[in-house]
Amino acid sequence: MNMKSWIIIIDERRAGGMLDAAKKLGGQVTAAVVGSRALADSIAKLGFDQVLCFETAEGIPAEAYALQVAEAAKAAAPRLVLASDSSVGRMLLGSVAAKLNATMIGAVRLLAVDGESIVASRSTADGKLLEDIEVPGALAAIFDGEDVEASSTKPVPVELMPVEDPGTTMRMVETIEAEEAAGLLTAARVVGVGVGLASKDDLKLIDDLAAAMHAEKACTLPVCDDMRWFPSNRVVGSSHSQIAPELYIAVGISGQPQHMSGIRDAKVVVAVNNDPEARIFKNCDYGILGDLYKVVPELISAFKNNG
Amino acid sequence: MKIIAVFKWSRNPQDGRVGMNGTLDWRGVKMAPNDDDPAVMEVANAIVEDGEIIGLTIGDGDIAWAAARGAARTMVVTDAQTETDSSVTAAVIAAAIKRVEGVDAVIIGDSVWDYGVVSALMGQLGWPAVAGVVSAAKEQGRLRVTRKMGTASQVLEVEGPVVLAAAANREEKNAPGMKEVLFARKKPVERLTMADLGLAPAGDVSSKGTRFPDTPPARMIDGKDPVAACKELMAALRSDGVL
Repeated sequence: MNMKSWIIIIDERRAGGMLDAAKKLGGQVTAAVVGSRALADSIAKLGFDQVLCFETAEGIPAEAYALQVAEAAKAAAPRLVLASDSSVGRMLLGSVAAKLNATMIGAVRLLAVDGESIVASRSTADGKLLEDIEVPGALAAIFDGEDVEASSTKPVPVELMPVEDPGTTMRMVETIEAEEAAGLLTAARVVGVGVGLASKDDLKLIDDLAAAMHAEKACTLPVCDDMRWFPSNRVVGSSHSQIAPELYIAVGISGQPQHMSGIRDAKVVVAVNNDPEARIFKNCDYGILGDLYKVVPELISAFKNNG
Repeated sequence: MKIIAVFKWSRNPQDGRVGMNGTLDWRGVKMAPNDDDPAVMEVANAIVEDGEIIGLTIGDGDIAWAAARGAARTMVVTDAQTETDSSVTAAVIAAAIKRVEGVDAVIIGDSVWDYGVVSALMGQLGWPAVAGVVSAAKEQGRLRVTRKMGTASQVLEVEGPVVLAAAANREEKNAPGMKEVLFARKKPVERLTMADLGLAPAGDVSSKGTRFPDTPPARMIDGKDPVAACKELMAALRSDGVL
């Protein structure tokens, strides 16, 4: 059975998790890096069997190389192609899937082999369930499983793929970096605030909790766009920052999918909410069901004494 | 520009009824616009100029949704539904798009409900494609799109025809009122079937059913006694090694 896998890499996010998931199926695992040579060199140290580099030119977005990557994938004929849920990775995966005439499945958490088929377990019903899908042919999957630390003592050589000038159909005009959110992206502890907070004056509670925890502050999209309590560089979610702290405490956050995808890689998630039906209680490690105005002051004391 | 705005191509994952044994029941649940569909119409209206927006949807649910937000007419593939294989769903949408001559842009919501359909559609059309688009504008005849990449925004210039996956960065403002909705219901609707598109409902993948994830459920702590609740939490966090 051909179980050759390709993993499309546009950054290091979930590269270890995808490698781990593909390796468990057996067969050769190839990283198809679309980006810089430096990224490919870094990926080559993770333990892939082969690393291909489609080096992109300055000012040309990775998507412009989609057809060239897809042609190379067709020639290699992998049974499985994975990409992370980044907007660029998903687009490249779509091109490869079309070229391979592959089944496409999103939100894949786990992969397994059953006889001649691949079984992809995808998240469904708003994360409450897993659906097991049997795929007899080629599978292109958007990977949403756990990330895994990966490294190898024997880095493989990077194979530079011949790429043609993709022309002028797509070009980067400018990149506007948001004002840095003072370490939110790399913080070990983060306090997130949602619209469960009654008024802007109450942000003092969040400030005090963040100080007691030595944490960075984050917020949901409505707290930024509707309430305007925080700038956009504090928003965590699928269209904004994605963070991976050791500890995330969500205060007054209901748990909309847009926000939850931004904290998927947090190690421990604590939710404080007075609504027993709040969706965040389905996607956290610890849930305190109670009035945040009574719980948070005690949390502040507890962290001051213990944290 | 001639723009096809793809909307309401999935059911809301929150609407499925989860049984005690991990089953999922979709009976009676209709397809619904996703959170990013309003952004689709916003982007379409921003770049259409003196052209035309054509709404495209599949299955049941509100056909007039896009027409109430600026689409001149709507196409609906009445007997199509969201398939397990997103490539199959995308093939239906792509086939309907290819019936329309001279399309400059296809815009679809970059929805977390099912990223697979968006990716597959982009691949099957084979046009320059950008996901995560938060705004677009025509400048000196060229299309400029802005997409969010983490904390940064990137502005790209793209030559058509293009596929854009629009991502909402806020809830819909100025949703249409009853007057617009009633007017929208009088706009032309082209009803298609899978047979009209030369497609058969198929796909060789099969669902083996649903189940609860193996991950343990959240440990719930009663917050009625906040002091005790925080004490319990701190002990647990210490035990997890995060303190």
